[in-house]
Amino acid sequence: MAGFLIKRILQAAFVIVAVTLVVAFAVRLTGDPALMLSQGAGSITEEDLARIREALGVNKPFLVQYTDFFLGIFTLDFGRSFLGGTPVIDLIGNALPATLMLAFASMFVSIAVSIPLGIKAAVSRGKWADQFIRIISLIGLSFPNFWLAIMLVLLFSITLQWLPPSGMDGFASFLMPAITMGIILTATNVRLVRTSMLETMQSQYIMVARAKGLSESTVLYKHALRNCAIPLITYFGLQFGGLLGGIVVVERVFNWPGLGTLAFDAVGARDYPVLQAVITVLSMLIVGVNLLVDIAYGLIDPRIRTE
Amino acid sequence: MIKQGMRTALMALALAGGMMASAPAHAEGTLTVSSPQDPGSWDPVDTFLVNWASVATNIYDGLTYRGPDTKLVPGLATSWEVLDDGLRIRFALREGVTFHNGEPFNADAVKFTFDRLMGEEGKKGPQRSNYAAIDNVEVIDDYTVDMHLTQPDPVLLTKLAGYGAMIVPPKYIAENGEDYFNAHPVGTGPFKFVSYEPKVGIKLEAYDGFWGDQAKISDLEYRFISEPSTAVAELQAGRVDLVIPPTIPIGMIPTIEEDPNIQVVTTASPTVYALRFNTANGITKDERVRKAMIYGVDRKAIIDAVLGGQASEIVSFQGELSFGYDPSLEPLPYDPNKAKELLAEAGVAPGANVQINIRGNDSTFNEVAQAVASYLQIIGLNATIKPYETNVLLNDIIPQGKTGEMFQQSWGGWTLDFDNTAYFMYHTGEKWNPYDSDPKMDELLESQRAITDQAKREEILREIANYAADRALEMPLYNLNAIFGLSNRVKNFTPVPDSRLRLNEVSVD
Repeated sequence: MAGFLIKRILQAAFVIVAVTLVVAFAVRLTGDPALMLSQGAGSITEEDLARIREALGVNKPFLVQYTDFFLGIFTLDFGRSFLGGTPVIDLIGNALPATLMLAFASMFVSIAVSIPLGIKAAVSRGKWADQFIRIISLIGLSFPNFWLAIMLVLLFSITLQWLPPSGMDGFASFLMPAITMGIILTATNVRLVRTSMLETMQSQYIMVARAKGLSESTVLYKHALRNCAIPLITYFGLQFGGLLGGIVVVERVFNWPGLGTLAFDAVGARDYPVLQAVITVLSMLIVGVNLLVDIAYGLIDPRIRTE
Repeated sequence: MIKQGMRTALMALALAGGMMASAPAHAEGTLTVSSPQDPGSWDPVDTFLVNWASVATNIYDGLTYRGPDTKLVPGLATSWEVLDDGLRIRFALREGVTFHNGEPFNADAVKFTFDRLMGEEGKKGPQRSNYAAIDNVEVIDDYTVDMHLTQPDPVLLTKLAGYGAMIVPPKYIAENGEDYFNAHPVGTGPFKFVSYEPKVGIKLEAYDGFWGDQAKISDLEYRFISEPSTAVAELQAGRVDLVIPPTIPIGMIPTIEEDPNIQVVTTASPTVYALRFNTANGITKDERVRKAMIYGVDRKAIIDAVLGGQASEIVSFQGELSFGYDPSLEPLPYDPNKAKELLAEAGVAPGANVQINIRGNDSTFNEVAQAVASYLQIIGLNATIKPYETNVLLNDIIPQGKTGEMFQQSWGGWTLDFDNTAYFMYHTGEKWNPYDSDPKMDELLESQRAITDQAKREEILREIANYAADRALEMPLYNLNAIFGLSNRVKNFTPVPDSRLRLNEVSVD
């Protein structure tokens, strides 16, 4: 088991090093941040630019800049934003919880909707309810999420004035962004729950439970659902990573103060330290979740460990 | 449980009562403003962003002040005198002014501010280059300073009204450090800083000790919202009272106008748009071809059709508010026949290619460029539009001289002085002038910089505008309005052309 663990952790570390290298290189292709900062200035001279570049530290060779950035990760020192000089870790410290809370809320919406719907579809397999749920989830899957977001804002914020159109400010502000993100996941999750329930329902222990004369709801929720929960939880875990990647658009529409907004602004401002820190943190999260899932699998199934 | 509820209610009442009693009668209510960008630092030396100014104009004062009418009036200096052929300016400072932290404002604060701007701290930022004429500030007595210049700068007094020249508190910065000051600004303005949450917003409150007209609202809150549709939705939902430029695109004006609770307020801005010519290469090297292209495009029709009345036609690369604007300068009329004649005269074959470079994310200008391209098609030129990402166009294409025959330039200096446009667009070797080199133009541009007589300067600036139009250095298009979205609960709001929005006159219902 120790050997398996070490192998997996080394792989994860390699992925992170590769990501940081690519990111550090790629952000520097976006252009000169000193030009960007002095864009409003008419009379900027090459001397002025050199001075600003020196203050930002972008005059150093790439490898020096990369090493500084990479070593900084271990002490959580991501440098300072080019725009205003705020320590990047403070910006991440504000944005990461906002993004994680939104991601969890979206997962919650998706799970709360997809499990009952998935079960309903499974038990009414082939009947109209199953067809109806299938069509609804197909529609859900084909919505572009920014469009859905705008429609929700029009209805709930402008026409009905029930919910705030943007910002993170209390429970009500979570509803629309979480629903927008959640609905896309729900569409796939309903299908997943349905398939997985159908498989479980055919197992012998379900037949036994029914033969014992247990009520249908006990059979469904106590016996079938619990048994198909393990693969579902794993899948939801992996989905969490994908969710973080797709959050930028939704954060922008709802002006959510998360990592997506931070990254979006940083691209526009050529703010290298912020951009590379956000991408590093996101990739560490995704790699971390994958690693946990791998380890969990290994613990459950000895065959994977020895592969 | 009920008891607990009662107690909370009573406490809330008591608190509310206490608050009402302590709030001064003149300042009540909160104004919430949507601003498109968080500048990241509130330190005047750090940034050029107009959305720094739209907040910071309420926090800080300069030695001079310029309000919505664009007239220069006393600020922290009550009077000034230009001496030694423009190489020294003597300022008499306002007495009895205190910074928000209680620190007195005096000559030392002025000296500290400019030493800082021109010294180590200023060197790290972009603002310093704008004040390069300042050599040093000499303290004469507690309320008199002499500003010594290395060369005359006729626009300096205007520049002292904004941005890098805002007066900062020396003791506060020495005690708390630069980093703290970035996020906790202190000035002498009508509003003082309360809290700042990066990427979310900044909150200010009325400063009772302000030397000028007291604020009529107690709280002023800014929220950073970059997406226009989100900002307008917040305005419609009544959670934002004012959306400041540059946020609302022209296409969104009808949405606001349809809503009875909100309105659009506009004013002429410093921002002018032109398609400038590559005067060094290609067919546009020939002045006749450039003129033909101007004759060939009905600019007035484009402005009416695309810009919905939110822009006015320009003849030189400046609007009416600009110092150096010449009202007698006439535009070249729309005359496609004359255009064709000139093209034939210059030997341009029908179907010759013209590439127009624009900012890809500027949807309004995209439409304008398309209209220009169709007009050029009519006079026999094959115009294609090549959009670039804004930052790439501004940093990597124009200054490097890599444009096509025409390229978009949107320009607007807050100083509203044509020098700030003409020098950078037309003087040889300037960043924004990758193609043209004209000794006569250079001489004109340089001559007005050394003159302190403003009437004489205005004359030369007008001559420059006429000369540039004569040589057809650009196809002048329009002067765009600054567009504000405003809730009807806001009273006494005056839109400003330059984003330096001071809100002490505004009240809310």
